[in-house]
Amino acid sequence: MSILTVNLKHLYQRRGLWLFYVIVVLFALAGIAMLFGDTKAGQGRFIGLIVLAFVIGLLLAVLPLEVLSKPFSYCLPGHRKMVRKFVFCVGIVFNIFGSLLFFVYPSLNMGQLVLVVCSAFCAGLISYLLGAGLAFAARNSVAFIGFLPLIIVAGGFFDLHTVLERVIIENPLVVISVGVLSSCVVWVWLGDEGRARRYCSVPWAGFDAWNPDKMKKISRIRMAGKWEKLEKYTNPRMENFFLGRMNRYDYVSAGRYIWGALYAASVVPILQWNSILSIVIMVILMSFFLGYMGPAATFMFFFLPLIAVMNIRLPVHSSMLISGGRRERFAGTIAAVAAVVIPISVVAIAMVALSMLFKAIVPEFTLREVTFIYRAVSARNLFIPLLIIPFAFVIRLIFYRKPVYTMLLLMLIMYLLIFTGIIWSKQLSAMINLISIITLLVLGWGSFLLVLHYVCMKRSLAGNG
Amino acid sequence: MNNEETIVQMRNVCKRFGKIKALENINLQIQPNRIIGLLGANGAGKSTLLRHIIGLYLEDEGECITFGREAKKLGPEELGRIGYVHQEGELLDWMTVKQLISYVSAYYQSWNRELEEKYIKDFEISTKARVGSLSPGQRQRLAILLAIGFEPELLILDEPAAALDPLARAQFLDLLLQIIQTENRTIIISSHILSDVEKVIDHAVIMKEGHILLDCSFDELRERFCQVRISALGKELPAELPFENIIHCKRSDGQAVLTVQDCPPEKLQEQAKSLDCWIEIETLPLEDIYKIVVSSKG
Repeated sequence: MSILTVNLKHLYQRRGLWLFYVIVVLFALAGIAMLFGDTKAGQGRFIGLIVLAFVIGLLLAVLPLEVLSKPFSYCLPGHRKMVRKFVFCVGIVFNIFGSLLFFVYPSLNMGQLVLVVCSAFCAGLISYLLGAGLAFAARNSVAFIGFLPLIIVAGGFFDLHTVLERVIIENPLVVISVGVLSSCVVWVWLGDEGRARRYCSVPWAGFDAWNPDKMKKISRIRMAGKWEKLEKYTNPRMENFFLGRMNRYDYVSAGRYIWGALYAASVVPILQWNSILSIVIMVILMSFFLGYMGPAATFMFFFLPLIAVMNIRLPVHSSMLISGGRRERFAGTIAAVAAVVIPISVVAIAMVALSMLFKAIVPEFTLREVTFIYRAVSARNLFIPLLIIPFAFVIRLIFYRKPVYTMLLLMLIMYLLIFTGIIWSKQLSAMINLISIITLLVLGWGSFLLVLHYVCMKRSLAGNG
Repeated sequence: MNNEETIVQMRNVCKRFGKIKALENINLQIQPNRIIGLLGANGAGKSTLLRHIIGLYLEDEGECITFGREAKKLGPEELGRIGYVHQEGELLDWMTVKQLISYVSAYYQSWNRELEEKYIKDFEISTKARVGSLSPGQRQRLAILLAIGFEPELLILDEPAAALDPLARAQFLDLLLQIIQTENRTIIISSHILSDVEKVIDHAVIMKEGHILLDCSFDELRERFCQVRISALGKELPAELPFENIIHCKRSDGQAVLTVQDCPPEKLQEQAKSLDCWIEIETLPLEDIYKIVVSSKG
C-alpha cells in the first residue's frame, strides 16, 4: 500500500469526521438542489460547493497536521512530501465533482461550458487551498468553522455570491491562471521539509477542541512558555483574599472546600487583568452587534453558557487528592458552578443593560436598501443562561467519561431549542411567563442538585482519562 | 578511526534555547554495532543531543553527520534506517493498534511482518484496542514495536522507561535484551535510571549541563573505578594507606572500604600484600561511577 493511500485512509478511519461528512453531504445536496427549477444565470446559485471547498480544506488539512505533530512521525521516511500530496489529492477530487455542476449552467455552448467548468475547478481549488492554508497557519483552525455562518450571511448580504459567479463565468482564463499559479505556490510551500521539524511535538488541538482535558493540557504546555509573562499580571491580593477566606474555616469544615473550589475555578481568569479587559471589550462589542441581530441575538445567550460549562473543570471529578471527602466535593462543586453562573449572569445583564444604553444613542442606518434599526436585547433573555446551565451540567455529570457525547448532546439541545423558538415563537411567547420560568428554573437546578448528589455520594469519582 | 564506518559524528556542536546553553562543544562519534548509554540527570542535554542526530534540532554551531549526511538534510533513505522512540511517546490516539501498525509499516520497505506478529504476541498488545486507551507501558511497547518493526540499523530510545512503573520497566529491559541480540544494529539509549541501563549497554557517554564528561566503553569505565575492601588480618590498618587515586575512604575497626580510580587490580593486590592485608576488589555500580564522574568534573 502506498504512503498516500494509508494517509487517505484516515479520511474514513477518523470517526470524528463522520458527522462532518454527513453535514457536508447535506450541504452539497442542498447546493445541488438549488440548481434545479428556474435557475437563471448570475444568481450565485452555483457557488455553494466552491464555498464548501474552503470548509473541506480547513478541516481535512488538520489530518496530516495531527500526524506531523506526533514525534514518531518525524522519522517516517517519505512522510514530509506526503503532506502536500494528501492536501492536493483531496482538493482535486472534491473540486472535480464541484466543478462538474457548472455543466448545467444556462445559456452557454459546449465550448464555453468546458472553459467555465475548468474555471470553476480552479476557483474551488483556490478556495480549498485557502482553507488548507489557514489550517496550517492557525493552531485551532476547526474553531473558524464557527465564523462561517457569519461569513455566508455577510457574503449573501453584499451579493458576493453573484460577484463570484460572474468572475468565474466571465473571466475563466484569469481564474484558471490564478488557480494554476496559486496551486504551484502552495505545492512548493507545503513541500517545505522544515515543516516537520517545526510541528514535531507542538501541541495541536485538531479535532479534539471539544475535549476540555486535552485543551487544558495544550493550554498548560503553551502557558509554560509564557509563565514569565503570566507572573507579571498575577495579583497577590486576590490570592491572599481566597487563601484568607479558606483559613477562616476549620480544616474539616465544608466552608474551606467551598472557598477552595471558588479559588481553583476563578483565580486564573481574575488574576490576569488582560483577560478581564478582553471580556469587557467583548461584552461591549457584542452588546453593540446584538442590537442589530434582532431575534437572532437570543442565540448568544444559549452559546455563551454552553462554552463556559464545557470549559470548567468540576471538583467532583478532580483527580488531585485533597483532604475533602465526598460531601466536601459536593459543596465545592456547587461553589464552582456558582463561579460560572455568577459571571455569566453578570455578562448577560451587562449586555442587556448596554444594549438599552446603546438604543438611546446608536442611530439606525440603511445599507443596500435594508434599514438596520438597533433594538435593545430583551431582558427575558437573562433567564436563558440560568435555564441552560443546570441542564448542561447534568449532561456533563452523566457523560463525564465521554466528552464528545457531552458536546454533541449539548449542541443538539441548543439547536433544537433555537429552532423550536424560531418555529413556535408566537406560541412560546404566550407560554413564557414568570410562573413557567420559575418552574423551569426549579426543575433545572433541582435536577442538577439531585444528579450531583447522586454522583458525589454513589458513583466512582475518578478523573477523566 | 574510519569515518566511513561511523554512524554519527558530532563536531563542536552547540545549541542554545534563548539564554540556556543546552549543548556546548559536543564532540561525539558513534560506531556501528554498539549499545550506547547516554547518561545524565534531567536537563543534562541528552534528549537535545539525540534530536540533533535525527535532524529534529538544528545546531547553532558545529555539525552533525548521520549516516554520512548532514542531519538536517536526512532524507527517506537515511530515515528508513533509523528507529526513534520519543520520550513523550505520543501516538495517534484515535487509531486502533492494528490501524497504527498498518499505517507506519506502509512507510518501510523493509518492514518485517513476522517480527511484527512476534512482538505483538510477546508484548501482549490487543490489536483491536484504541491507542488512546492503552496504559503507558503498553503505549511504550507499541512505540518500540513501531520503531523496530523495520529492523533499523540505528535505534534511538529517548528515556523509554521514564514513565513506566518498576514492573513495566523490568519487562521493558527484558525486551531490550531481546532486541539487542540482533546483529548489525546500533542502539542509543538515554536514561537517568542508571541501574536499568547498565545491564544492557557496552558504551557509556556521561553528560552534565550540556557537556560530555566522559565517553568510553563500559568495560573501560568499570575498570577505571572500583571498590576495594581491605581487612587487616588480626591487626590495625595503618593510618596512611599506600593506595593511589583514592576518591573515597571509609574505615571502621580493622577494615576499610575504598573507592579507587585508575588503579589496576594487580597493583592493588601488590599494595595490599605489602600491608599484609586481605583485599577484595569489586566493580562499582554505574550509579556510583556516575556520581563520581559528575562530582569530580562538575
